[in-house]
Amino acid sequence: MLEYQNIFTRVQVRTAPDPGLPIDLSTGARYGKGTFNYWIGKIGDAQIGPIYLGWSGIASIIFGFFAIEIIGLNFLAQVHWNPIQFIRQLPWLALEPPPPQFGTHLFPPLQQGGWYLLAGGFLSAAILLWWLRTYLRARALGLGTHLAWAFASAIFLYSTFFFQPLLVGSWSEMVPFGIFAHLDWTAAFSIRYGNLYYNPFHALSIAFLYGSAVLFAMHGATILAVSRVGGEREIEQITDRGTAAERAALFWRWTMGWNATMESIHRWAWWFAVLTTFTGGLGILLTGTVVDNWFLWGQKHGLVADYPAQNPAAAAQMEQLRGQYAGVQPSGFPGTGVNDTIPVVIVAEQIYESVTKTGRVVTQAILFDLAQATIVADSRAQLDEIGKVLSEHPELTFVIEGHTDNSGEPGANQSLSEQRAGAVREYLITNYQVLPGRLSTAGYGASRPVASNDSPAGRAHNRRVELVAGSQP
Amino acid sequence: MTCLVPGAARLLVAGACFAVVTGCQPGKKESAQRGYRGTGMELIVDKTDIDRNMALVAAGIPPALPPAGPPTAGPSPWRNVQVLTDVSPAELTRTMLAMSTWVAGTGNCAYCHNIADMSADTSAGGTPLYTKLTARRMLRMVRDINGTYEAHVRNTGVTCYTCHLGQPVPKSTWVYDGNPNQVERYFLDRKAVRVQTHAVAASNDNRSSVKQTEWTYAVMIKISRGMGVSCSECHNTRAFNSWEQAPPQRVQALHGAEMVRHVNYEYLMPLNAVLPASRLGPMGDSPKALCSTCHNGAYKPLYGYPMAKDYPALWGRTEWNGQPFPAIPASAPAATDSAGAGAAAPAPSAAPPASVPATPAPSTPAPSAATPAPAQAAPAPAPDPGTGAMGGRGVTGKKAAP
Repeated sequence: MLEYQNIFTRVQVRTAPDPGLPIDLSTGARYGKGTFNYWIGKIGDAQIGPIYLGWSGIASIIFGFFAIEIIGLNFLAQVHWNPIQFIRQLPWLALEPPPPQFGTHLFPPLQQGGWYLLAGGFLSAAILLWWLRTYLRARALGLGTHLAWAFASAIFLYSTFFFQPLLVGSWSEMVPFGIFAHLDWTAAFSIRYGNLYYNPFHALSIAFLYGSAVLFAMHGATILAVSRVGGEREIEQITDRGTAAERAALFWRWTMGWNATMESIHRWAWWFAVLTTFTGGLGILLTGTVVDNWFLWGQKHGLVADYPAQNPAAAAQMEQLRGQYAGVQPSGFPGTGVNDTIPVVIVAEQIYESVTKTGRVVTQAILFDLAQATIVADSRAQLDEIGKVLSEHPELTFVIEGHTDNSGEPGANQSLSEQRAGAVREYLITNYQVLPGRLSTAGYGASRPVASNDSPAGRAHNRRVELVAGSQP
Repeated sequence: MTCLVPGAARLLVAGACFAVVTGCQPGKKESAQRGYRGTGMELIVDKTDIDRNMALVAAGIPPALPPAGPPTAGPSPWRNVQVLTDVSPAELTRTMLAMSTWVAGTGNCAYCHNIADMSADTSAGGTPLYTKLTARRMLRMVRDINGTYEAHVRNTGVTCYTCHLGQPVPKSTWVYDGNPNQVERYFLDRKAVRVQTHAVAASNDNRSSVKQTEWTYAVMIKISRGMGVSCSECHNTRAFNSWEQAPPQRVQALHGAEMVRHVNYEYLMPLNAVLPASRLGPMGDSPKALCSTCHNGAYKPLYGYPMAKDYPALWGRTEWNGQPFPAIPASAPAATDSAGAGAAAPAPSAAPPASVPATPAPSTPAPSAATPAPAQAAPAPAPDPGTGAMGGRGVTGKKAAP
């Protein structure tokens, strides 16, 4: 008699491939006749195919192909279409979600997260369609839909990486596509929200994950161990308990004090697996929406072991050391402001008042990339206020003056200040349909400081844009 | 250019990098407890590695030159002295000789100076001596660091050798790469690393993003790699933002970051007007400092070897660890006493530099404006423009410039 006594399958059947049950051909065809593979037979059924896809499977593969294609082509573009570099740098390549300044804007520029949203949309469609396929196939074969619902639990976790950013109001929270990138995201997400270790749903998810692995190993080992007495016929053993089931049950009762049954062990495994992703998803949804610092949450609720303070600094010093939050910064990363104070935006009324009374208005709230004339995105607030003034008061004309601090060469500063004034003018003309004749520009480099250039704060004051009221056109 | 670089120094950076703690390196490990027991805050070091590196560093460090002896009377023979105006001529000469060893090779005066006219800031042909202009600025920087950043450098201080390791250009510096989010900009103008909320509930107070956090992470790794330490050197990683649970080293590191930013703003950035294009980065900026510039992968630069105490001219003050420096006229008001200094000199933090522009023009015709060194007995506090230019950055432990 053949026995299952090894860690891999030793029995392989060779006959004409089994085509399976007849199907309703109006829902799609089976592809291939089926073939056998010896090595696949070592770890499972040796027969491969025929394959049925159906409309949902085909649509899923098409969408999945689009997603992988977008991600892959973006990766390739990042290494300037060099296939060798593509392979070498693959672990570090990433397709990133839109930076924070785009919030949950639906159509960010393609290069700034647009491709990411497209790929994410296609990938989600592919996954949902594949879910549908598992559901429909189970129904078609007259099975229960346990697999589809377990899969749905995993999709729930996947979906929280969409819904949590939606609740927080920023696509930038989403997980980047990339090997190390998504791992980095995991670390950063935990750090940002005060250590996910103290998130009880995270803890539950880990418990269920480890539990799944343990149950899987226990069940597999038990069935293999009793296969010599027919234990692999689990379904039969459920309804007609034979010596295999008896021996397995005895083993666990004697070693563990209690045993699952041939039937209930599968419910255990199913629920552990389903709860892993379900509790994990709950943990993600609560993060940044209800709880922003899990460590402090744990402290509040007595989860955190209390150790003596390590730092001898006094409470007042601690407060000083604490500093300010980084906040959402111009390009979504760190601030350009020297002291991390976002410059105050001067609103339209103030601008008009200042211009009519003093003939000019000075703003530090138009920020540029360092040593460049590129306006950073967060400056739009100030530019929009200026645009409003120009729209509301068509009689006003301005000379836009650019000023720099004294770091760098005077010549470079001069041209930089001119270019920056020009960039402001161009923005206003483009976005507010201002008649070009109403705006002229001038650059003064570092020649007209308003504060000492000897301190960073003073230099920050000197880096500025001034609007000087001009004559009527 | 003569380059008398000790082989050991050349090995230092490479060697020190191996001191970075990783779990899978061969060799005997020792662990040092960095936090309360049970918190897992341990620094695991390869003792053999550290010992070898320390020996390498110690072997590479040039021995201190013999003391210059008591100050002699009479006017200084040196002209156009702009920084070391408060030391005796003999001490100045001694310091210059030591500097040549640290940077350009012993006795290689011509690396910076016009040998025909040592006071000149230009070569015989009239071109500016960028090495000299740079060295002068760096000397100001060293005195600023030693004189006012005791909170970070303590009484160990820094010398040129700390970063230069006997070579003309320090190994570990950074320049802009054109990426506005470049990690190293933490050491200049982007210090927004604080992302964790100080309250349980989410609110709109803290809008820091996960991307911002990744940037923070990168900055922190840059710092820890530069010093060969792990996260728990400065943090209890269960709550990164908590100062209560953080080891005191974190305060030390914060002072260091402030110091590096100050140094980059005040001394290194403006060098782009002095240095030749070949020394500048692709964006045209001068090389700037970060933790590893001095630390070179070691938890203390040169493993804490106290070089600077033998060179009074590098401190910009009159005493070291409570002892008066031998070669510094001690008649200046007590520099460590802020009340005394405040009475004698303008308010230290608010005072803009008296004369020297932040960006020295390359073609400064300095020789004609040679200033004689003040007489040794002069009670004037010898205001050094470099050390006074603190720009009002809030750093505790800062002292008035003498």
